Amino acid sequence: MLNLEKTNKSLKKTLIAFIIFLIVVGIWKPLALVYGIQRGGLYSLIGLPLALILGIVGILNLAHGDFLTLGLYIGYIFFNSWSIDPLISMAPLFFILFGLGMVIYSILIKRVLKAEHLNQLLLTFGISMIIIELIKIIWTTRPRSVYTSYASSSVTLGNMSIGMYEFIYPAMAIAVLVILQLFLKKTRLGQAASAVGQNPKGAEIVGINTNVVYLVVFSIAFGIIGVAASVMLPRTPVFPLSGNPYTLKSFALVAMAGLGNLNGILIGGITLGVAEAIVQSIPGYEGWSDVVFFGILIAVILLNAYRRPES
Amino acid sequence: MKRVFLVMMSLLLVFSFVLAAEKPIKIGAVNPLGDITGDQAAKAMKLAVKEINDAGGVLGRPIELIVIDDEMNPAKGAAAIERLATVENVDFFVGGMGSGVHLAQIPILKKYEKITVWIGAATHQAEIAMGPDADWYFHLHPWDYQQGEGYGIGWTEIVHAYPEVKIEKVFLAYEEGAFGTDSYTTYVDLYEEAKRGEGSWKEVLKEFKGASFKSAALGGGDYRAMLNQAKAFNPDLFIWAGYDADAIPIVAQAKEVNFQPPLFVGAPPGWPADFGKNPLSENVILYGMWAPTLNEVSPVAKHFYDAYVEMWKEEPATYFAPLGYTNIYFLVEGIKKAGSLDKNAIIEALRTIEYESPLGEVLKIEPSRIIKNQGFKYQKILQWQKGRQEVIWPLELATTQLDYPFKFGK
Repeated sequence: MLNLEKTNKSLKKTLIAFIIFLIVVGIWKPLALVYGIQRGGLYSLIGLPLALILGIVGILNLAHGDFLTLGLYIGYIFFNSWSIDPLISMAPLFFILFGLGMVIYSILIKRVLKAEHLNQLLLTFGISMIIIELIKIIWTTRPRSVYTSYASSSVTLGNMSIGMYEFIYPAMAIAVLVILQLFLKKTRLGQAASAVGQNPKGAEIVGINTNVVYLVVFSIAFGIIGVAASVMLPRTPVFPLSGNPYTLKSFALVAMAGLGNLNGILIGGITLGVAEAIVQSIPGYEGWSDVVFFGILIAVILLNAYRRPES
Repeated sequence: MKRVFLVMMSLLLVFSFVLAAEKPIKIGAVNPLGDITGDQAAKAMKLAVKEINDAGGVLGRPIELIVIDDEMNPAKGAAAIERLATVENVDFFVGGMGSGVHLAQIPILKKYEKITVWIGAATHQAEIAMGPDADWYFHLHPWDYQQGEGYGIGWTEIVHAYPEVKIEKVFLAYEEGAFGTDSYTTYVDLYEEAKRGEGSWKEVLKEFKGASFKSAALGGGDYRAMLNQAKAFNPDLFIWAGYDADAIPIVAQAKEVNFQPPLFVGAPPGWPADFGKNPLSENVILYGMWAPTLNEVSPVAKHFYDAYVEMWKEEPATYFAPLGYTNIYFLVEGIKKAGSLDKNAIIEALRTIEYESPLGEVLKIEPSRIIKNQGFKYQKILQWQKGRQEVIWPLELATTQLDYPFKFGK
């Protein structure tokens, strides 16, 4: 009971600090706030499936960003071959990636669940390499893109021209987060998944089929990658390494939020996105955004490490 | 018995002469085959070799081309030269694309000192590394500083030819890596020259500003902060130096922040597969050495284009294709003129020939800042119009008029 109160207090403090941070940035650099929320929303959306897999299945998927790339190519095929708008191909993409997740889990991941972490990492790294090389063979390294007129639409406020499309990123991140929380808390399978994530052996003892839970969670996470690819497609060039950098950023977000903390992914993603946008808006310091991104990450991890022994 | 032996010996002698005469001249090429530039350059080289061999080869001998993939990896690029020299025993080196790979290859090239005709590497660092004494080294691609100088000449001529065009303020957006930073340094030098009333930019560069961005190719892709800086500067000429992955998002985001400079120029090494089909491409200006529309003004360009399409069932999409074709033909013309494989004779011949290339201009060797044998000096100024790359400058090669000013959704 006491612990729960402490956790709630800590969450409230974090939320208040987060809101104050956003207000200060909004007054100081309103455009940086807008860009940061948009970009941070994307980081969160892409980070959520990685967090889900790492938190429940316990696998760090180093091919995370490459499956995102694959999703982008599939979305591109839908657009280029059948003129299907990326936002419409979101539904088939969810199911295609969901199916792919089932196959990858059943054939490969299942075999290394009890293996050393290094072997798990090597396996997903190998998958990453294979995906990149296959994409190069099939589609070459030349970037491709889809054109949708709405992706560069904007509204003018005073002397600021604000792009509207990228607000879809935080909106989708919030929607996915809410659906995931509902799934994990309100459905029997979701509750089983939470139990497996917290204590897999205990869950097995009480009769939960962990293999089915892992399969479903892994596949859902892949489905979310498909959704992320769909919403990114109108604004993202498609080439073999399109999604690759997001693996590291997503892992950084999970490390910052803490294992199993899905809400933290959203707050962390937007914080890092806004910090990046502030740096990019200062003339002469544009190149420092990665330093700030990972600097904040290190600071938060150290702060968490300092706070945990106290509690 | 003696007579039989003599006949046998005579036959053997004749046979060995025939063999020696038909022994191929070996050319070793190093290209990044996983990238469209290297892939198409290699294909164009194979086309040139096929045409030359079909016409009887050179010095009565066929040409053999051995291509090795450098995978854009400096270590692999250097190892490829070593292998071509020692295992394959090639007579000449050709190829090239990336500057980083070439910097690693230069010490190996210097070790063997075989005649090298290189079509890649624009950075002046490669010229410094090669030094002034490598008379066996021929570099066909313009160096970075030559390109900068060429654009100044081009824009000045365009301003004179089109009275409505005004250029005074120039903004350069450059990607954070070596390629972009090198471009920025070059423009800063050109600006300093222009301020002193010197150099090719003196008439068209009164104010200059630059800002960096993280390329989508390297994990970036949000250019809006940089574009807002450019918008506040209000340039007459906006140039971005990045990669092909940046091409569409930069224009889309410029539209989003309502940044519409009169001249919108992209300077990536290649363009996305479908850029011309994208409505946002209309009137975007680009720098390059070649465009398919040159077919309309150059018979050599047209011959190359048609032969390439026939052989490979695909269109050449990057200037490295005609450059690769030029690479082989230029070398073979030199061998033909020298009349032997004597190194000094070929070097002398290559320095004096004039080869009408499919890039629309005549290739002649002249010294550059450091090396003695530099080929092309300038790139061309092109413009996307109705999905086609049209040549705007050099004015004598222009395939259409400049569409000015740049406007979204024209």
